[in-house]
Amino acid sequence: MSRNQSLTSNVDWGLLIVFFLMLIMGVANVYSVAYNEEAPNIFDFSQKYGKQILWVGFSLFLGLLVFLIDSDIYRKFAIPIYLFCIVLLIVVLGMPAKNGAHAWLGIGSLGIQPAEFAKIGTAIALGSYINSVNVKQQNVTTVLLANAIMLIPMVLILLQPDAGSFLVFTSFLFVMYREGLTYDPIILKLVNQIPGIKFKSTWLGSHFIPILFVVVFLSVITLLMSNNVLTFEFWPGLEIPGFIGVILTLIIISLVSYVILRWISARRDKRRVTFIVLIGFLMASLISTSVNFGFQGLASHQKERIELFLGLREDPDVDDYNRNRAMAAVGSGGLSGKGYRNASLSSVESNHVPESETDFIFCPLAEEWGFFGSIVVVVLFLFMLLRIVAIAERQKSRFTRVYAYSVAMIIFIHFAVNIGMNIGFAPVIGIPLPFFSYGGSSMMSFSMMMFILLKLDSQRNTVLS
Amino acid sequence: MNTDSRRYVIVIFFIVVAVIYGTRLFYMQVIDESWTLRAQEIAEKRVLIVPPRGIVKDRNGKKIVVNKTYYNLMMVEKNIKNFDTVAFAKLIGWTPERVKYRFKEIVHDEGYDKDPVTKKRTVPRYQKMRAYAFVKEMTTDEMHAIAPYLVKFPGFYEEITSMRSYPYANAANILGYVSEVNAEEVAADRFYRSGDNIGRAGIERFYESDLRGRKGIHYVVTSAMNNAIKPYANGKYDTTALQGPVLNLSVDIELQAYGEKLMQNKRGCIVAIEPSTGEILSMVSAPTFDPNLFVGRRSTSANYPRLSLDPAKPLYPRPLQAEYPPGSIFKLLQSVIALQEGVIDVNTGFPCNKSLVGCHNHPNARNIMEAVQMSCNPYYYQAVRRVIQGGRKKGLYADAEAGLELWSKYMHSFGLGHALETDIPGVRGGLIPDPNYYDNLFPSKKRPYGHHRWAFSTIRSISIGQGEVKVTPLQMANIAALIANRGWFYTPHLVKSVGKKGPLPIYKKKNYSMAKAVHFDPIIEGMRRVVNENGGTARRARIQDIVVCGKTGTAQNPQGEDHSVFIAFAPMDNPKIAISVYVENAGAGGSWAAPIASLIIEKYLTNKITDPEKEKRILEANLLNVVKKGK
Repeated sequence: MSRNQSLTSNVDWGLLIVFFLMLIMGVANVYSVAYNEEAPNIFDFSQKYGKQILWVGFSLFLGLLVFLIDSDIYRKFAIPIYLFCIVLLIVVLGMPAKNGAHAWLGIGSLGIQPAEFAKIGTAIALGSYINSVNVKQQNVTTVLLANAIMLIPMVLILLQPDAGSFLVFTSFLFVMYREGLTYDPIILKLVNQIPGIKFKSTWLGSHFIPILFVVVFLSVITLLMSNNVLTFEFWPGLEIPGFIGVILTLIIISLVSYVILRWISARRDKRRVTFIVLIGFLMASLISTSVNFGFQGLASHQKERIELFLGLREDPDVDDYNRNRAMAAVGSGGLSGKGYRNASLSSVESNHVPESETDFIFCPLAEEWGFFGSIVVVVLFLFMLLRIVAIAERQKSRFTRVYAYSVAMIIFIHFAVNIGMNIGFAPVIGIPLPFFSYGGSSMMSFSMMMFILLKLDSQRNTVLS
Repeated sequence: MNTDSRRYVIVIFFIVVAVIYGTRLFYMQVIDESWTLRAQEIAEKRVLIVPPRGIVKDRNGKKIVVNKTYYNLMMVEKNIKNFDTVAFAKLIGWTPERVKYRFKEIVHDEGYDKDPVTKKRTVPRYQKMRAYAFVKEMTTDEMHAIAPYLVKFPGFYEEITSMRSYPYANAANILGYVSEVNAEEVAADRFYRSGDNIGRAGIERFYESDLRGRKGIHYVVTSAMNNAIKPYANGKYDTTALQGPVLNLSVDIELQAYGEKLMQNKRGCIVAIEPSTGEILSMVSAPTFDPNLFVGRRSTSANYPRLSLDPAKPLYPRPLQAEYPPGSIFKLLQSVIALQEGVIDVNTGFPCNKSLVGCHNHPNARNIMEAVQMSCNPYYYQAVRRVIQGGRKKGLYADAEAGLELWSKYMHSFGLGHALETDIPGVRGGLIPDPNYYDNLFPSKKRPYGHHRWAFSTIRSISIGQGEVKVTPLQMANIAALIANRGWFYTPHLVKSVGKKGPLPIYKKKNYSMAKAVHFDPIIEGMRRVVNENGGTARRARIQDIVVCGKTGTAQNPQGEDHSVFIAFAPMDNPKIAISVYVENAGAGGSWAAPIASLIIEKYLTNKITDPEKEKRILEANLLNVVKKGK
């Protein structure tokens, strides 16, 4: 390990630039949404934008500290870090509830959410554990232990209760999937009990996690779109029932992804891409169809329960208020938006979209910058995620790879759920949009997560294990 | 097991979700318009800006109708929190019960819609999000007293509004009043919204479409609390509210006030017109009332019942609607018709044959001037008989029919028998009988005289302005103007100009009568003698240095004492003012109506009174209780 390396050598500039771009866009966006005429200075620390700048500054300072510290420390102190996080999660349960959840640790307005930092702790602990396990020796015990590392903070978070953070922790299922720690051993153990059957592996067991996610994701979208009271206006003047809209959307998405995948994949994979997209489309259609008609076949009280959860049954002015307002804000942005600081629905002042500076931060962005702004955000996130996957895959250290995938998946879930609820593709679950939402805890935890990743990656050549 | 290829599962996952979201965003933001409409519904509001009504000035530019600032205490139920009824009631000086009742009243006043299921009118139109006036029409002082404490009552706020105010307490019968629109008016005209004001009578009503001005529309971005935050699109689509134009009346408010003063403790009217323009200078209806009594709901509801039940009928617009028998002033027109028809000439004389019709004692009229001067009843009996029974048709009845037909046409050409198109609502036309009237309507619709069942002898009382003939004071003044102009008149009107536009086109058109100008000269000479020569009936109308031409009338009144009538114009050459004065139950025209007219003429022409005794006599007279004949 060469100590005389400069701090910035081997830093992944692509990821760093996207990260800074998002920070700048995020602050600009918070300034716009929370703008107060009486305190127009963006550095006015009594205002949310001033505070957000403080948080960004503090986060960057933390990042500098992270860069000064040798990344070995995370490997060495993985267990203490994890345990510290667990303790915080327990302590926070004793704190007074704020907005109905025991999620905040601290005094007055200055507080942190341990759940945000528990994500880092869990990622480190999982990396450390998987690093120590030989994949080829994966068995029921290792699978259960890895799952336990994930489940302990999840249970504590559920006790707060904080459904959003709970959902985010399912990210680690994907990480384990990538590392081969699937539920296959458990399924094999069960299946092989049957006399005459002796499987080495099952396809379902191995790919259970992504299949589950696809099914859940598609089901939610299908139900949200096909059971809408309104018919689905696919093109102005062309009104079609919601379900056919889902299938048409799937066809469009398949064609778009086919073109993109053909374009980015290597020549030898091109035929595979065709096959995968076709299979994917058929599977997705099958799932959507069965969910749709399965749902129609449900008893009315069961239907009602699902509709309540998805926010489909409600009066848009009362119960489905948040999502309806958020979608109106996003949808009214048009192609190029209403202009900076011109959001009529999602500014804090107008307050039509509640929590528009935190959970619904995407609303003002989409409303003010229109489709151009929204697609830039989506593309930036996609770039960031793919960049992190690329970083993960170039690691020699399995610890770093697990950590990197954890970061990618955590950001992905935040991105997917947060933007999903702004566009009617997810029920309203309160989780922030990384680097954009106002708030110290998420800003610090995501920045630290990012800097630790950059630091680990920059030392990829000095690490052997 | 090599799990490296599983990276693609994750990568595909990322890409597919990003593509789905991108597609969805494109659909929501670019293709589908419904979210834009939804956003407009949520966050944009059309605010109607109601301008203050146009103000009204008199002919000398004095403001006679202005706007005064008032406040409404507004309420939005949705924003009311922790409402303390007792404290609130104490603040606005009501009882808590009244406060509770007011809430119910507001809901009730908005009305109900039909329930789509039960088909009953049970669904209230009242909306919790909307602003309603909880207390209306508070004065600036009243609002200043409570405004500092309103912060304790979220959901309540002050709203500025304006109401009419009348610096002169005169001309109530001309100006009319305004009040809140009712549900039918809102339904009939899209201009109005609940709570708007509308002109109810007088010129406020006639010129409503001018005075109300143009409402402004402001598009604003509203917050979730329904407060306006900022103009939508920087006010690009807004229109400004325009106050209605200034209404310049032809009325001289000082003259009007003087007329009302003279008419105090009397019933009747004064109408003064500028003959050369048809502009009404003054239109007094006595008894009258202070127009400020009808400002605002509270004041109106306190005063309206009292005034409407007053037996002297102060709310009755006498100059427009009181249809009186004209009496002897009618002889002026009979003279003109007889001269025009050639049945007499200027020097035709008739003996005062009291066997035909009663008369007072006077020498025989040797010519038309003397007939006017002495107001000889038998003279006109004979002259008008020649007009009616003119020998145009064979047979007495057919001849009378043809004669009356012609005669009524003359009268219509003098502006009688039909409502003048004066710019004020409620103008009545009086009555000029024509053949149809006696054939089918008189004495009653059930038992009329019938076709060819009447002749001049049947209807002779019309010759001296009695019987069936009915004329309003406005028409009488117009006759004075017509004679002053020697045969034509402009339709009398109250508004000289609306903003920068002149009077309505109909007031620029001369109405010519069927009589030639030359036939008016002897009549005018007669009128001069009535006032200015001994033996005339209106010596009390004489004014030093001004030649007043007039004619008295003493209209017989079956219900009580005779009405005192006088019409006049002055000066004789180049007349500036034509006037009619009608004093109910006051006896002979020369005794009350003539001096009142002369005071008005003198006041208008010279702005001073040379005979204070005359003025004092009028001011002190109380003719209200002279109803029954003294005999």
